[in-house]
Amino acid sequence: MVCRKGVESIDILLTLLYLFIFPGFIFLFAFSLFTEYLDRKIYARMQRRVGPPFLQPFADLVKLSAKEDVVPENAERFMFTAAPIIGLAAIFAAFLYLPIVSSTGLHSFNGDLIVVLYLLTIPTLAMFLGGWYSGNVFGQKGGMRVASLLFSYEIPFFLTLLTPALIEGSWKMADIVTFEITHPLVFIISFLGFVIGLIALQGKLERLPFDIPEAETEIVAGPLVEYSGRRLALFRLARDAEMVVGAGLLAVVFLAGPEPIVHLEPVYLSWIVGALVFLAKTLFVIFLLILIKSAVARIRTDQMISFAYKWLIPLTLVQIFIAIIVRFLGGI
Amino acid sequence: MFKGLVKWARIKSPWILHMNCGSCNGCDIEILAALIPRLDAERFGVLLKGSPRHADVLVCTGPVTKQMKERLKRVYDQMPEPKFVVVVGQCGSSGGIYQGAYGVEGGIDKVIPVNAYIPGCPPRPDAIADGLIKLLASIAKGGNP
Ligand code: SF4
Repeated sequence: MVCRKGVESIDILLTLLYLFIFPGFIFLFAFSLFTEYLDRKIYARMQRRVGPPFLQPFADLVKLSAKEDVVPENAERFMFTAAPIIGLAAIFAAFLYLPIVSSTGLHSFNGDLIVVLYLLTIPTLAMFLGGWYSGNVFGQKGGMRVASLLFSYEIPFFLTLLTPALIEGSWKMADIVTFEITHPLVFIISFLGFVIGLIALQGKLERLPFDIPEAETEIVAGPLVEYSGRRLALFRLARDAEMVVGAGLLAVVFLAGPEPIVHLEPVYLSWIVGALVFLAKTLFVIFLLILIKSAVARIRTDQMISFAYKWLIPLTLVQIFIAIIVRFLGGI
Repeated sequence: MFKGLVKWARIKSPWILHMNCGSCNGCDIEILAALIPRLDAERFGVLLKGSPRHADVLVCTGPVTKQMKERLKRVYDQMPEPKFVVVVGQCGSSGGIYQGAYGVEGGIDKVIPVNAYIPGCPPRPDAIADGLIKLLASIAKGGNP
């Protein structure tokens, strides 16, 4: 009995460690700031600039949190404050389901892929609500743009992430990664899906060339126009964390996440190796996102929507068709 | 310790907002030239922001015209504390060649408090960058928060 109690308390300790330190909240916080640094630095290097110093994102965050707290007269106080918190909370929750250290995340069940997809939609809605309730014309205009672009990238993103699940026949991320590592042919079959996923993720994160909602030259800063201080800091953090989680999701679904797992003794050594593999794959996806950002310029709203419906969605359907044929022929 | 951290962050990340209060546009072109990749203001954490709510440093040019006076005040009020004002060009410092014209109020400091002046007609881009760095150095030394 005593012994069981000891084991249980160690389990609880490990779970808490997982939740809050690694790879939980604190790690995600640090890693998102690092991603922002990487984003800005590589972007600057591509323009032959020196770029910001290493601690720049952290300095921005601290400075913003120490600034005066302004709620505009026309804004709806409650929603204005709640929007960034909801967005950030959804992303942090999504991060916990990703299989990071081993092929199962903190809690793995059938359908966790869909839960993560839906959780990743919430920040977009938070952005829309924040812009809408800020009581500023530019904010509302930006919020409307956020909402109207939602479907042009969300449909291809959802569909393309479901292709590996279709080939494998399970909605569980743990099954998908283990299946992918035993059947490397999946990488080739779902390569088209990976490219589509990258482009759609770029739209989801509202980065160039799809940064239409906050087009600086047209509508100042879009939904964020009235945000200042702490709330702006939360939104920026949410944006960075969304990039990490989105890239991590692509790395899990298309690049097999933390696999191949080497089984080492004691078990936490193999967790560390798994986490390193996962991080390397995530950074690779993030690097591709940064390359897209620095190579293109912003397109118009109608161009984006027609691009999504004329190219992205048909290509996604082709990918799904391939997946179904593969499955029909008896799998791989 | 916490105060020191906040101060460090403030010096490391000045986001600027650029406002033309009636200048001949000479100074504005030079401000844009100070932000080009060659001088790379982002090394010092400087970002050009579109909304006064995001900005820490208001960079103004030109003499304040009677029309612009109210707008300048409003933009200044919209910026959250702590905020700093940098004036670029002779006109903004004193009224310059527009001094005494019927539509002109005078220098920027007649309307809002100013932290730093960068003289010249127009100042060179490197002088503008230098002025901003000097402002940051004065904040670091103690000055106002
Ligand atoms: S200082 Fe010279 S360049 Fe600048 S606004 Fe005045 S006249 Fe134009």
